[in-house]
Amino acid sequence: MDQSSATASHGGAIGMHGIKKWFGNFQAVNDVSLEIRSNEFFTLLGPSGCGKTTLLRMIAGFEMPSEGSIRLDGAEIAHLLPNQRPVNTVFQNYALFPHLTVSDNIGFGLKMLGKPKAEIDAVVAEMLKLVHLEARGNNLVTQLSGGQQQRVALARALAPRPKVLLLDEPLSALDLKLRKSMQIELKRLQAETGITFVFVTHDQEEALTMSDRIAVMSQGQVRQVGAPWEIYDRPAERFVADFIGETNFLDVDVVDVGADRARVRLPSGAEIPATFPAGTQPSGKVTIVIRPEHARATASTAVTPLSGTIHDIVYLGTDTHLHVRLADGSSFMIRLQNARSGPCGYSVGEEVGIEISDDVAQILRD
Amino acid sequence: MSVDAAELNEKLHRKDIRDRWFLSAPALILIGVASVGPLLIVLLYSFLAPGNYGDVKWAFSTDGWFNVFFSRDIFDDTVSLADAHFTIFWRSIRLALATTVLCLIFGFPTAYFIATRAPQNRSIWLFLITIPFWTNMLIRAFAIQEVIRSEGLINTILIKLGIIQAPIQMLFTDFAILLGMTYVHLPLMVLPLYASLEKLDFRLIEAAYDLYASRFNVLMKVIVPLVKPGIIAGSILVFIPALSSYVIPRVLGGGKNLMIGNLIELQFGQGRNWPLGAALSVTLVVIVLFAMLYYVRNAGKNGGSAHG
Repeated sequence: MDQSSATASHGGAIGMHGIKKWFGNFQAVNDVSLEIRSNEFFTLLGPSGCGKTTLLRMIAGFEMPSEGSIRLDGAEIAHLLPNQRPVNTVFQNYALFPHLTVSDNIGFGLKMLGKPKAEIDAVVAEMLKLVHLEARGNNLVTQLSGGQQQRVALARALAPRPKVLLLDEPLSALDLKLRKSMQIELKRLQAETGITFVFVTHDQEEALTMSDRIAVMSQGQVRQVGAPWEIYDRPAERFVADFIGETNFLDVDVVDVGADRARVRLPSGAEIPATFPAGTQPSGKVTIVIRPEHARATASTAVTPLSGTIHDIVYLGTDTHLHVRLADGSSFMIRLQNARSGPCGYSVGEEVGIEISDDVAQILRD
Repeated sequence: MSVDAAELNEKLHRKDIRDRWFLSAPALILIGVASVGPLLIVLLYSFLAPGNYGDVKWAFSTDGWFNVFFSRDIFDDTVSLADAHFTIFWRSIRLALATTVLCLIFGFPTAYFIATRAPQNRSIWLFLITIPFWTNMLIRAFAIQEVIRSEGLINTILIKLGIIQAPIQMLFTDFAILLGMTYVHLPLMVLPLYASLEKLDFRLIEAAYDLYASRFNVLMKVIVPLVKPGIIAGSILVFIPALSSYVIPRVLGGGKNLMIGNLIELQFGQGRNWPLGAALSVTLVVIVLFAMLYYVRNAGKNGGSAHG
C-alpha cells in the first residue's frame, strides 16, 4: 500500500466471475461476471433489491459469495475477511464512530494497521484538508452536519489508501443541492487519489453524472455494462432503457439489416434507420426506443414518420413535455427545451407531426 | 384585558409547577419513609448503648463506633485494632469486586448473544434470563450446595468417572461464595448490558472490520466504549448487593467465611450489640457511597477523554 501522498496511486482492478449469492431460498445475485478496471469510477446501478449492495458487500468481505470468484489485481480475495482486504467502504449511513472525534475517526484504519502516530497524524491532516474539514478535527462527529459527516466518512475510508473504495449509496441522505456538489466532489477525489471507486446507487442521474462506466442491474443480474452515453443512447434491453431516463417504446418491423444499422418500419408505414446492440441480429418484430429529446414536433404532419394529437403538456422549468397520442392509441413524449419566450406555442388537442433524426432509434434485445 | 390574560397565564404556569411537585409527592414520601428514615434510625442507634438482651439503652455512647475499628482485650483492657472486622470488610470488598468482574465476563457474551438475535426472539431469551428470580434465593443457594458438596453432583460424577479419587472440597470456600454470588447476580448485569447493546448500531462493527480492526480491537475500541453506560449500570447493580450479601455466604460459605452482611446479622442476633451492628451498617453504606463516587467519576473521566 502506498502511504506517501494523496496524489496518483494505482487503483486496484476487480474481476468477478460467476458470482452467485443465496440468502436461504432467495437468490440475491445470479451469475454476475464483471471486470472493473484500475482507476475507474464504476457504478452499480439498479432498483432496490437488484443485488447491487450485496455485490458491493461481497467485494468488501461482509458477505461471502455462494459461488464464483472475486479477484483483486489478479489475486483471489473472496475468502478473505474484511480486515484483510485493501478495500474500504463508505457506508450509506456513514457508520461513523460516535465516541470518537473527527480526527480519530479518520485515523482509525491506520491505527488498526499499527502505523506510527506521526504518520497517522500526517495522513489525518492531509485527509482533513482533502475534504475541507481542517477546522473540525477535534469535533465529535455527532456535532457535524450531514454533509460534513459524509465527508468524514469519505476521509476515513480514504485514509488507509485502499486499492478500491466502495461507496454504498453515500449521497442518498443528503438534500438535492448538497448531493449535486458532493457528486462533483467525489469525482474530484477519485481523480486526485487515483483509487478505483465502486459506487452503488439507484439514482440514474447520479450514475450518469459521475461514472466512467455503469453496470445496470436487475433481479440479481447485470443487464448491461457501458459508458454513461452507451447506457443512455444505446440501451440493450427494455429494462435498461426504461430505468435510465424517460423514453418512448415503439413496436416496429425489421426491414433490412446492415453492418451496424438496420432499417425498421414504423406502424405508420414510414421507415427509419436504427442501431442495434452488438452481437445481435435483429429480425421480425422488435421494439425500438427513441429518447423524448431526440424527436421534434412540427406543425405539418405530411412528411413526418409519425403524427398524432397532443393530449398533455407538462411544463418543467428547463423543458416542456408534449405527450402526443399516436394513431395506434399509444402515447409518445417529446421534450422541448424552453426558451425564455413564454409558453411553448402548442396547445392540447393540436395535431402535430413528429420528426425523428436519422441516428436516434435503438433496437432492443428481446 | 391583555394584562389579565398575562396574569392568568402566569398563575396557571405556577400552578402547573406546583402540581408537578404534588405529582412527585408519592415518590418523595416513599423515599423518605423507606430509605432516608430507616437510615437515620440506624445512624441514631449507632450512638446509643447496647441493651442487656439486645435492643438499645437510650443513653449516648460511642462504644458502637469504637468497636467497629478497635477491640478491647477482655482481660487487661488493652486496645488494639479490630483486625477481624478489617479482614471481613476487605474480603467482602474483594469478593464483591470479583463477583462484579465474573458477572461482566459471563454477562457480556450473554447480553451480546441476546442483542444479536432476531428482534422477535429477544424477549424469549430475556424471559429465560429472569427465570431464576422466580425461586427464592435461599432455595437456589441450597440447590448450589447440593451440586458442589462433597457427596454432591459434581464430586460424585468425577469420582464415578475416575477423574478424582477423593471429593474436592468446594462447599464452604470462597469459591463457593463466588460461584453463588455470580449466579445470583448475573441477571442484574445482563439486563443493563442488553439495554445498551440493543441500541448499538451493528453497522459500526462492520465499519471497524472494514478499517482493519481485529476482533479484539472491534470489542475494545468500538463495542466497549459504546456500551459503557450499560457496563457502569450493571457493575453498580451487581457490586452493591454483592457487597452486602448475607444468604449466599451464610449457606455456601459456612460459618467461617463471613462477609459484612453476616457480621452485621451477628451483632443484631447472637452478639446482642445493636449499636455495633448499626455502626457497621453505616460503615457499609459509607463504603458503598465512596466506591460508587470513585467508580462513576473515573468511568465518567475515561468517557470524557474519549469524547475529546
